Amino acid sequence: MALINFTGIEAGNWTVLAEDEQPTEGAKVAASVTRIADESEEFFAAVGELGAVVSTETAYADLAPLLNKLSFVAIEFPAFTDGRGFSLAVRLRKDLGFKGEIRAVGPVMPDQAMHLMRSGFDTVDVADERKEAFEACAARFKQFYQSDYRGAVSIAHARHSSDESRKAS
Amino acid sequence: MYAYDQFDHAMVASRNAEFRDQVERRLKGELTEDEFKPLRLMNGLYLQLHAYMLRAAIPYGTLSADQMRRLAHIARRYDKGYGHFTTRQNVQFNWPKLSDTPDILDELAEVEMHAIQTSGNCIRNVTTDQFAGATADEVADPRPYAELLRQWSTFHPEFSFLPRKFKIAITGASADRAAVKWHDIGLVLKQNDAGEVGFEVSVGGGMGRTPVIGKVIRDFLPEKDLLSYMEAILRVYNENGRRDNKYKARIKILVEAMGADEYARQTEAEWDRIKDAPIDVPEEEAARIKAFFAPPPLEVLEETNASVDEFASKNFLFASWLNNNTNKHKVPGYVNVTISLKPHGGIAGDATAEQMELVAALADAYSQSEIRVSHEQNLILPHVPVKDLATIWADLDEAGLGTANVGLITDMIVCPGLDYCALANARSIPIGQAISNRFDDMKRIQDIGPLKIKMSGCINACGHHHAGHIGILGVDRKGEESYQILLGGSGAEDASKGTILGPGFDEHGIVDAVEKVVAVYLGEREEGEEFLGTYRRIGAQPFKEALYGTH
Amino acid sequence: MAKKIKGPQMLIANRLDDGRVVFFTRTGGWSSNTDDAAYGEDEVLESLLERAQVFVANNTVIDLQAIGAVIDGDKAFPSHIKHAMQAKGPSVRADLGYQTSLDWEQA
Ligand code: SF4
Repeated sequence: MALINFTGIEAGNWTVLAEDEQPTEGAKVAASVTRIADESEEFFAAVGELGAVVSTETAYADLAPLLNKLSFVAIEFPAFTDGRGFSLAVRLRKDLGFKGEIRAVGPVMPDQAMHLMRSGFDTVDVADERKEAFEACAARFKQFYQSDYRGAVSIAHARHSSDESRKAS
Repeated sequence: MYAYDQFDHAMVASRNAEFRDQVERRLKGELTEDEFKPLRLMNGLYLQLHAYMLRAAIPYGTLSADQMRRLAHIARRYDKGYGHFTTRQNVQFNWPKLSDTPDILDELAEVEMHAIQTSGNCIRNVTTDQFAGATADEVADPRPYAELLRQWSTFHPEFSFLPRKFKIAITGASADRAAVKWHDIGLVLKQNDAGEVGFEVSVGGGMGRTPVIGKVIRDFLPEKDLLSYMEAILRVYNENGRRDNKYKARIKILVEAMGADEYARQTEAEWDRIKDAPIDVPEEEAARIKAFFAPPPLEVLEETNASVDEFASKNFLFASWLNNNTNKHKVPGYVNVTISLKPHGGIAGDATAEQMELVAALADAYSQSEIRVSHEQNLILPHVPVKDLATIWADLDEAGLGTANVGLITDMIVCPGLDYCALANARSIPIGQAISNRFDDMKRIQDIGPLKIKMSGCINACGHHHAGHIGILGVDRKGEESYQILLGGSGAEDASKGTILGPGFDEHGIVDAVEKVVAVYLGEREEGEEFLGTYRRIGAQPFKEALYGTH
Repeated sequence: MAKKIKGPQMLIANRLDDGRVVFFTRTGGWSSNTDDAAYGEDEVLESLLERAQVFVANNTVIDLQAIGAVIDGDKAFPSHIKHAMQAKGPSVRADLGYQTSLDWEQA
């Protein structure tokens, strides 16, 4: 697998904890939301960095109480067609103000690179042979018709911006 | 008309470059069909029964003469000399080669057209009133808002992989010619007491296997808030719409399950949170787009013209055409001309390259180079001076485009059906042809009066059969084509859902059945009563008796 | 999964480049003319499928399917109306040419 990093956020590998597996001291680990919700203070003290692996079905409100413990969230797409993952990332950024890494995992397509980035994802795990296509897609479009929740403004705003650099397409 | 600026050009050009690359990779075998299929679909390229089919968008049904000429050129150079205008204000080419499609898309881009989001589970081409900006009964021209929606929905980061396709329609007129209540979102422009312009917003309309009429969730949405409100509606749908069963994935099912009140509540709650984010466009942008749709400078002319009247008094067909195919323009002395793509015995919605070129030439000469496409599969020349009508009709008639049947029983909506469509159960086109041949008598059909037949070749309802005064649905009955008949639907401001009368008919029986239904109407109607009025007054029973002899 | 079809079957696909409907032939190629089409049941069908699959793998055709056939003499024709339509071309545009049979009954 290769990691595509859109935002240059510091991103590395983590271990996904199996059900009863205990983290090694100081390790970067990921676990399910239910497990994290049940864990004790010792657990949080023991892990180095903690992340949640969530499915696209996860309601963002369920993540809210855990967010202060999380440094990253991995959103698992069961299929590239499951667009809930995009809304979930938007919610994390927009409604919950999450600043950590959001990573897409699962069978997303190169064509979705910009959708992912603009919805709030920083990184995506892709098969090695798709890396090039992903990078090409991520570079294809320069500006968009929508503002996003990461601060990029829409073409409609750029058209009337006094900042000339925004107008260059 | 809207004109692209460098941003719009760059967007379409990047997309086309991307698709060209994808097609090359596919042809070289670097992409498998499974990988390629979703990519080609996102560019409007389907595989149909006989070949690929390319669906290009005609945003909100507005075309320039140059664009129409380009469609003619594409039909001739890359296809078999014709195209098909659909109920979603799109145009379909039935025979393109895969390797030609990148060139076709570039040809479209040169005239500021594209095939983006004409397929897939995304926000599709926004449709509207074919008389937008040219009709007397309008609060405001809906097209600037449709263009705003087009831009906002193009490659939306969050709403490109919805549970299912998503269709928005908008009208500015009191008469609903865009079937807005039958759309996932329906927008009706209105003025509030303070004279401000805004929208009535309905959600959850749709046809298909579960026909539902949309429900109003907001009486008045200020125009400046359009996009943020759309975003709120779409987010609630994207998060909560069903994804486990594609037949239950449309927003209509979610609205039914949740209740319209709850859908409204969730939308409003989300909207409250986002309405100050930079989603809606700056005022200058709204003004910039509106300026493209400024009414053409028409000088007021005489409402009547002696030579036109004189010709009409001598020529019954022309007089009929004046009556049926023209509608009042907001400027005195002008009309909007509907060119029927339903010649009796012909294929509804099809136009040859030559016909397209003729329409383009007429548009240059008489309608400010503007053409419209209606969801009823006809073409419109807006802003036409009354004094030129006789000349225009003569030119149209010579090209087989002069049929005077707009709004009458032979002006049917007919989907491609099993002659082209891979999803079809039964053919639609030959049934349409047989019906219009059966009623090929201008005196008779004018006596019958306004009557809309709408026909689909399968439950997907592209032919709007639920909304037909008479609806016809093709079904597969043990491997044979069979046709059910529905009565009482409407796609207009009095939207209603047709009811199935009973068992289906074969391809000959269905034509007889339509004739019997018409006979019941003619026998029962009261002075001045149209078909739908009679049906609503007397109910289905007399029609059932005539068709099935039940008591 | 596709429904199990009884009796003889033939193989239908679309050419990758132009999408046209073709049938796998007795000589191991593809033709838009059903008169050339190979057909069979059981092991015969399986071996046909195996040979045809090669053309899917090398990106000559897509959407390969085995479909029910009616046999007249030694010629196969699709039994389901949808595939019959594919073999004939649009019934309303008999002028379009490539189809193998133009004798649509007139409604
Ligand atoms: S209604 Fe059915 S048959 Fe007709 S065009 Fe739509 S999908 Fe095809």
